[in-house]
Amino acid sequence: MAKTEKILYSLTKIDKGRRTVVPTVVMLILTILYLVAVLSVPLHMPQKLIWLTAYPIFLSELCGIGYLKIFVRSLWILPILIFIGIFNPFIDTAPAFTIGNVTVNRGWVSLFSILLRGIIAFQSVLILVSTSGIIETFNSLRKIGCPAVLVTQLQLTYRYIAVIIEESLTIKRACAARGFGKRSYPLKLWSRLIGQLLVKSTHRATKIHLAMLARGFNGVLPTGNAVYWTSTSWLWLFGGIVFIAILRFTDFTSLLLHLTGNFNR
Amino acid sequence: MSHHFIRFTGVHYSYPDGTEALKGVSFTATHGERVAILGLNGSGKSTLLLQTNGLLLPTTGEVNVGDVPVTKKTASLVRQAVGMVFQDPDDMLFMPTVYDDVAFGPRNMNLPEVEVERRVTAALKAVGLEEVSKKAAFQLSGGQRRSVAIASVLSMKPDILVLDEPSANLDLSARDNLIKLLDTFHHTILLATHDLEMAKQLCPRAILLNQGRIIADDSTEKVIETFFSVCLRKEQ
Repeated sequence: MAKTEKILYSLTKIDKGRRTVVPTVVMLILTILYLVAVLSVPLHMPQKLIWLTAYPIFLSELCGIGYLKIFVRSLWILPILIFIGIFNPFIDTAPAFTIGNVTVNRGWVSLFSILLRGIIAFQSVLILVSTSGIIETFNSLRKIGCPAVLVTQLQLTYRYIAVIIEESLTIKRACAARGFGKRSYPLKLWSRLIGQLLVKSTHRATKIHLAMLARGFNGVLPTGNAVYWTSTSWLWLFGGIVFIAILRFTDFTSLLLHLTGNFNR
Repeated sequence: MSHHFIRFTGVHYSYPDGTEALKGVSFTATHGERVAILGLNGSGKSTLLLQTNGLLLPTTGEVNVGDVPVTKKTASLVRQAVGMVFQDPDDMLFMPTVYDDVAFGPRNMNLPEVEVERRVTAALKAVGLEEVSKKAAFQLSGGQRRSVAIASVLSMKPDILVLDEPSANLDLSARDNLIKLLDTFHHTILLATHDLEMAKQLCPRAILLNQGRIIADDSTEKVIETFFSVCLRKEQ
């Protein structure tokens, strides 16, 4: 099966997600709170972020995904994070701390902080999508009061990824059918193909929009299945908030140092 | 107010590039009538169909669905009455699963989820595709996609069914099933097609379009004869 086709099939998995014990709305609220907690940690205090990694580890294991899988997938975002923070060590050269004879400047600390922050934030979103599925996540966004127009934009953007992939698959097949095994094409042809892909996708998107209008689309995509909230949802929510609050506000580093200090004495 | 008839009165339509696709089209399809729209490629069939539920609005002239004139303001009301099946099913199927696609219309009608589920199940059963409801559209064959596209309109329980070349790319068995299915629809049908046999089987009346004008409006048998003579003239 072609790589493009595999992506198309993997999208269907992302659509549905896997059912877990934690209700979707709770998972969404907790993910938002966790992202706020992660972003609220000052850039020069990465030690606080280290403790926050407990959340994705715990949750991925609880939901039966396995942290290793999530960790490997989260590495996809590493190049973007490196691009964001790569210049920090050269810009912020003020010393942060010294290990032996080596002085580490604040730029390296902030780079590490950006990498860790980005990875654990991405991991929490990956867990949300893996467990709840994109569709349920969007439905839940609506249920917690996110404006319908905004959610519809997100849903449509997501749906059009599939449209673009389908169109690229068609172009790829058309090339392969008349390419006689040729695998590489000149750059000029690639640019034409990409242009053609955009034109075809736009054309198809326009036609899809017409078909949507014909079936009563009024600017807001219908959510469909109701998102249920039960008494156990409150328990999961309360437990999750307490867990995130403990990770965010407890100074585990000092506590650990204090405990080991007492132990040494 | 009856939604079941459709009337075109002196409809002209020009595309932004100046191409005049419809030139004074007038006809009425009454309640329960099945009308085939025939014509060569580029004769204006699809443009005419798009006018029926306000996806295109006449440059001049008027389209009425029941007592309601089709305008920008009435478009949403009209679209609940006129169900349109597009030429290419891929244009209609874009939701993650077949179920969601068939439920798209009923949900837009703000029906309760129980009713949506009932309609989706019934529509998929009618086209014989209940077992694929959880699949994505791209996982289906061409014929299955066509059937799902039809189901996605049937689930809206339209008063008027408008179909643009529904038998294109269907094998004989799928085509026969489609004809049987459409035969069970007891409201008004407008059917644009190149499949003359299908037109004959389903529609007692036909309209022949040529370069945006109606040149024949009679029994399907007679219109097909005229159609052949138009084709011959074009070849000469």
